[in-house]
Amino acid sequence: MKAELANRMVVALKNSGIDFISHVPETRLSEMLPLLKADDTFMLVPVASEAEAVGIAAGAALAGKRAAVYMEGTGVFVSAYNLLTVGIRYGVPMLLLVSYIGSVEDQRNTFLYSQYGCRMIPQLEALGIEYRIIEDGGNIGAKVSNAVRAMHALKQPVALLFTGEFTEAQ
Amino acid sequence: MIRYNCLELLAPLVTDQIVVTSLSGQKIEWAHLSKHEGNLLVGTMGTALGVGIGLAVALPHRKVIVLESDGSVLLSLFNLPTLANLNPDNLIVFVFDNASYSGTRISEPTATAGRTDLATMARGAGIEKAVTVRDLESFQKEMTAALSENGLRFVVCKIEESKDHRNILRTDMDPLENKYLFVRYLEKSEGKPIIRSRG
Repeated sequence: MKAELANRMVVALKNSGIDFISHVPETRLSEMLPLLKADDTFMLVPVASEAEAVGIAAGAALAGKRAAVYMEGTGVFVSAYNLLTVGIRYGVPMLLLVSYIGSVEDQRNTFLYSQYGCRMIPQLEALGIEYRIIEDGGNIGAKVSNAVRAMHALKQPVALLFTGEFTEAQ
Repeated sequence: MIRYNCLELLAPLVTDQIVVTSLSGQKIEWAHLSKHEGNLLVGTMGTALGVGIGLAVALPHRKVIVLESDGSVLLSLFNLPTLANLNPDNLIVFVFDNASYSGTRISEPTATAGRTDLATMARGAGIEKAVTVRDLESFQKEMTAALSENGLRFVVCKIEESKDHRNILRTDMDPLENKYLFVRYLEKSEGKPIIRSRG
């Protein structure tokens, strides 16, 4: 992701009220991580698995944080159990910031990733998780704030899947 | 040592602490012994500790107690290094280790029935105060210290496999009902809104 887009993304999260992010590092959106770390608005919690990232975000959300989980697309599969047993069963709002690895528009797609990408939407739909695919940074502020409003309205996780422009190398 | 006896000692000491339980006996017995509004009965394998960590880091001034089991911790071992590095000094983890998947009703052994030691694993992950207790007196000593002092504690409680919880009437509390009671209690005690209709 280009630096300018990473910056707009972080501003969008901040303006939407997100103040807690648990995360497992990945490649495509990683340029926003130093920006998040440098901004005191965000409590960042690095974890070892997307499964615990979801549980930790849920705990933080129940304590009053506006929580997000930043992960690679593969993390949706890893954390499916936690999304279901905690996020959905307990009705906990959280924003899933997912790099849509292996999607058709993934500018770095290869045979390594494509099998994950083509199963992402069926996986989210099976979990009953509302999602939006975001291919470009136009109106990113509105896209993020719409998703945050939806997660509070639904009281469950909502996913933003970033591909296209977001997957271009710096 | 029997888990119910441990929880009987803990329940009257819980005032404004938050208590998160895993599943099976931890949930059933705790819900039977404690009607505390700050109970979050997560009730699924491998998830209570993560939720407890999130609560602890988000509310660093509140003591958070997590009641876990050996099978549940073994299912979510990635929590141990995360917990060690976050090192929340307001979190107490009690792991009731009966070396058995007793919730299965056929009581298959867990890894702790073999060569695995959860307190050693926790120390290896970086949790300094990770200990094992094997009798009620030791449990009470650790519990008292954990409640009165700051510092992350991970207390593995080696217990006999008891099937007594199967005779306890299970709580009818729905997860959503539990969430709202819990959150409204936090809103009241923390003096801030958490769940609002408009986010």
